Amino acid sequence: MKKYFTVQSVILVACSLFVVYLAGIPLVMLLYGSFRSAPIGEPGAAFTIQNYIKAYFDREFYLLFLNSLYFALGCCILTFSIGTYLAWVSERTNTPLKKLFVVMALIPFIIPGILSTISWILLLSPKIGLINIALKGLLGLEQSPFNIYSMWGMIWAESIHDYPLVFLLMSAAFRNMDTSLEEAALSAGSSTWTTFRRVTLPLMRPAMFSVMLIVFVRAIESFEVPALVGVPAKISVFTTKIFLAIHQFPSDFGLAGAYAVTLLVISTAGVLIYGRITRREERYATVTGKGYRPRVIDLGPWKYVTCASAFLIFFLAVILPVFVLLWSSFIPYYGIPSKELFDKLTLANYRYVLNYPLALTAFKNSFYLSVGSATLVMLLTSVIAWITVKSKLPGRALLDNMTFIPIAMPGIVLGVSLIWVYLTLPIPIYGTIWVLLLAYMTKFMPYGIRAASASMVQINKELEEASLASGGTWLQTFRKVLLPLLMPGFVAGWIYISIIALRELSTSILLYSYDSTVLSIMAFDLWEGGQYTYVCALGVLMVLILITMAYVARKLGARIGIAE
Amino acid sequence: MADKRMMVQIQNLEKYFGEDKDRVHVLKGVSLEIPEGSLYTFLGPSGCGKTTTLRCVAGLERPDGGRISIDGRTVYSAGERIYVPTNKRPIGMVFQSYAIWPHMTVFENVAYPLTIQRRPKEEIKRRVGEVLRIVGLQGLEDRPAPKLSGGQQQRVAFARALVNEPKVMLLDEPLSNLDAKLREQMRFEIKALQRRVNITTIYVTHDQGEALAISDQIAVMHAGKLIEVGTPHQLYSKPKRKFTATFLGLTNLIEGKVIELGGDSQPGRLETNKGILSFVPTTKLEKNQTAVISVRPEHIEVHKTKPQNSENVVEGTVKDAVFMGDAYHCHIAVGEDLIRVHTHPFLTMNPGEKVYLRLDPQSCNGLPAEDIEGMDESMMGT
Repeated sequence: MKKYFTVQSVILVACSLFVVYLAGIPLVMLLYGSFRSAPIGEPGAAFTIQNYIKAYFDREFYLLFLNSLYFALGCCILTFSIGTYLAWVSERTNTPLKKLFVVMALIPFIIPGILSTISWILLLSPKIGLINIALKGLLGLEQSPFNIYSMWGMIWAESIHDYPLVFLLMSAAFRNMDTSLEEAALSAGSSTWTTFRRVTLPLMRPAMFSVMLIVFVRAIESFEVPALVGVPAKISVFTTKIFLAIHQFPSDFGLAGAYAVTLLVISTAGVLIYGRITRREERYATVTGKGYRPRVIDLGPWKYVTCASAFLIFFLAVILPVFVLLWSSFIPYYGIPSKELFDKLTLANYRYVLNYPLALTAFKNSFYLSVGSATLVMLLTSVIAWITVKSKLPGRALLDNMTFIPIAMPGIVLGVSLIWVYLTLPIPIYGTIWVLLLAYMTKFMPYGIRAASASMVQINKELEEASLASGGTWLQTFRKVLLPLLMPGFVAGWIYISIIALRELSTSILLYSYDSTVLSIMAFDLWEGGQYTYVCALGVLMVLILITMAYVARKLGARIGIAE
Repeated sequence: MADKRMMVQIQNLEKYFGEDKDRVHVLKGVSLEIPEGSLYTFLGPSGCGKTTTLRCVAGLERPDGGRISIDGRTVYSAGERIYVPTNKRPIGMVFQSYAIWPHMTVFENVAYPLTIQRRPKEEIKRRVGEVLRIVGLQGLEDRPAPKLSGGQQQRVAFARALVNEPKVMLLDEPLSNLDAKLREQMRFEIKALQRRVNITTIYVTHDQGEALAISDQIAVMHAGKLIEVGTPHQLYSKPKRKFTATFLGLTNLIEGKVIELGGDSQPGRLETNKGILSFVPTTKLEKNQTAVISVRPEHIEVHKTKPQNSENVVEGTVKDAVFMGDAYHCHIAVGEDLIRVHTHPFLTMNPGEKVYLRLDPQSCNGLPAEDIEGMDESMMGT
């Protein structure tokens, strides 16, 4: 008799069903919800297209659409320019200290978006912005030269935080380009400029386009800057409109759903096109291979200019925001650095934040959610990666796609979806920390599967077969051979997820309740309450936690992983 | 051989790779029997199905038809719907990459088959010690696996395959990752090890030299089919198939029409464009059938003057001669064709010189000229 209920099949089926539950159900419920007049159980609940009519026949809708488009395009152009310039400088020129750029470019990753946004408000606000005050004093200006509460302010605050992604992707693109193709053009007699135009640019075009697309999608999904800068400036975009639809009284879940579906369609289109391009790009990559030594351009004396410009960007992206956070966290009231304020430096803000009634809950919740979601996601995706990479089980391609669905889901859309899921399904976790855990797992699953599959691909099939041939069962093989070998990827994915989980805002803000408050929500609430100095103290603590976590995880990973 | 028990039996094994229109038929009814205690080699060019057959025996591939039994127990049967998973089969396996787990020490690697069965610590220690002594790795127990040389990794792989005293040891091209010198040395070690432990062993290789040196029996495979089985000596000197003759060592093929079958001590005769040549009939031929004579370069004598009263003599011109130390390797143009000859190094050969070749009739094997699909000229003794 054949056994159907082996440990292996139970685990595989359970994990696959869980992925379907995490990724598929929210999608279905969001669509369902957007066509409902009210959640099930409430009076007058019925199917309707009223939500869409209300959304699309609102005059504001087109303003909203244009705002989102301007914002996303602006961010796209600015981040792309900064990131690509830095990538070019560090990969293709002889600029001094370029090794340092890579480290510098990675630092903004550790600063949560909400903190970076707050620090730029503190720098560029027309009333209290440090830069404005300083420039007015220095130049004797009547009016503040900068106003963060504008479209340009929003674009700046978002771009200066997002450019590292472009830097990393474009660096990889520059590195992977076969420079012998350029050299072939040069040796065929074309000038440097013609070579750039006729060879380099066409070769880089797919990479450039795909990077722009991903930045565009990120900007259109972004929540922190639109909420903190856009709302006071009365510049509405999709994400804030959805947020406000739920946060108004009474909440309009149906309208939020209709907007969320619209946003989802836009971001999905972006992600799909991105997938198309990168897949083709990878095909190129296998042909051209790797390990080329990029041709480095000698900039002559200009190399000091490029070096200085790179440091200027670093100063703007990291030093200034971190400084303003640190400074504000130690002063009793907000102001420009002066002798007078210097004498009043205090730890009172930290004391206040730590004694804040919800602080302990928020710290605990954030910690549990970050560690819990990172661990669970990595375990789940390790099993899924085995199915999609190593097994020949039917439906594995579908499962792979399923795991990736959430990447196209803006955080705020996921929040709306999950509201619908747990208002409808008879699972009593709405408003608890469990709903946040499931939300985080859904949201970070794509990052987990990426890390796990990348490591899984590198594990020679024979290492696994040797265990089977030694008499090991599937579970023993998975635990004793595959998991330890996956460890480097597992740890890398774990670090990344635990860090982004700790600063998650856009999904949590729709799903939290008093008992399930997290740090980023607490920061948001303090900011809304106008308690700037307290927010900064909290922000400094968050950054310290993030740095410690990254450090500990890396140490731990080095010990567990394979020493080479 | 007849009195020996068969340890592994394979009947009509069928296997396809891929799905639907991309389906490839990789095993086309392979049947063979492996006697207990022997070293049995699957030999053939890449893509012939030898590794797939081995992996079917291991249970790492699931066949699409046929039957496999190990030690009298059916481990796969399409008809009876039996499929025993790899970890339940009495096998030990050495992989092409050795598959030594990099996160474990030598001891942990070798002990793995025992530790997953939760054997007592004492027993594990004793048995790992024994098997490490057999492969000559005693004292390296605590060495991390990534710090081993290629040869040492291979010994660890052998120790791990042997430690649980399997019925069959499966070796998948175990020498292909070693450098030439070590490969030569390990051939003898594997043979000696197999004799000492007296374990039934299946050895997969595409290297005919390796197969000849190491095997008790060789199964020559090509394009998913079993071509011929025999001892190394039988296959080399009296092949029954043209593919065997060309794949094992170098040979010359001369095509013609059978005009006399021969038999018993009588030679057969073949009418060729180089005259009528006699051959030893190693397999059944029909009169007037197209056939080939296969004669190896070392079985051709070179004479500067025409030898008297001798059959199988052809006239040719020296095209080129390469000095190889122990012999001259020459190409002799006979009519349109080139014939390869290995001559004594003292016999100097000058290009353009006229010579007479005597093809030793006892070493001329008459074989059917059947074409096997996929066989290309590069394998034909170049």
